[in-house]
Amino acid sequence: MAVLGRPPWRRLGACWGWWGGRAAALQQRQPPWRLKSTNPFTREQEQEWRRRNRTVLMYVAAAAVGMIGASYAAVPLYRLYCQTTGLGGSTVAGHASDQIETMVPVKDRIIKVTFNADVHASLHWNFRPQQTEIYVVPGETALAFYKAKNPTDKPVIGISTYNVVPFAAGQYFNKIQCFCFEEQRLNPQEEVDMPIFFFIDPEFAEDPKMAKVDVITLSYTFFEAKGGHKLPVPGYN
Amino acid sequence: MSTAMNFGTKSFQPRPPDKGSFPLDHFGECKAFKEKFLKCLRDNNFENTLCRNESKEYLECRMERYLQIPSMFLNSSAYCLSAFIKLDK
Repeated sequence: MAVLGRPPWRRLGACWGWWGGRAAALQQRQPPWRLKSTNPFTREQEQEWRRRNRTVLMYVAAAAVGMIGASYAAVPLYRLYCQTTGLGGSTVAGHASDQIETMVPVKDRIIKVTFNADVHASLHWNFRPQQTEIYVVPGETALAFYKAKNPTDKPVIGISTYNVVPFAAGQYFNKIQCFCFEEQRLNPQEEVDMPIFFFIDPEFAEDPKMAKVDVITLSYTFFEAKGGHKLPVPGYN
Repeated sequence: MSTAMNFGTKSFQPRPPDKGSFPLDHFGECKAFKEKFLKCLRDNNFENTLCRNESKEYLECRMERYLQIPSMFLNSSAYCLSAFIKLDK
């Protein structure tokens, strides 16, 4: 069993006589870390090549790690860029009041806006829309009402936020004035009308993604506000 | 700010209103105009185009009672409410 004493790349020669010998010869390679050349002149060259290969490998690995790091860093950097240049996201150019004056209603595109009202479980207000739906066209300002009543016998401060479905249509939904994002105080047994003055951007009619959108749902939700606690106005944060 | 956990889809970003928040009409001073507007909506099958007169009257009522800050119209060259509610030509 002397074959077991040999290194593994030399064991094959023990079997199959002549064939085993040929196979062993083929397999008779040096272990991987030994240099290929036996000639002292080419040996130096080979070492040089190996050193260069290693440096190239180091550079490539560093570039790969750098790419991965950059892809993680890109998210806050892009956000910073958008904030400074104002591209995309919440701030869309052309919301000045002169745009409201000069915009032309797109009469052939009628959109139904339905209204929804919600309250948070801890807020005991009766909050509901005063109309179930309204038919508007893009470019035309519209008025809508919600009603809120405080049936408790303590003054309650509420603050609301809104949501527009479908989400992509929300960028065209512009509110000129509403009652959201500010604390609204209702005295005991007080009932108040809450108006919303809004319009849908005329560019809605030109967006191919909005071609099938005929119903937009506006949903308001009221939460209880602890007095003096200002809700941060949502922005690009 | 939407609660749906959709990775990659555009989520909804609520925007604050352009001209700020409406001061609430706690004393119901413009309630009659509001009722007129809602009645008009109900009569016309909730079409906004046909009820713009009434909405203009409601907002004028608010402006008179200082419930509405007229500064919202200050930026506009017309300096009047009719710029915002263009009555149908």
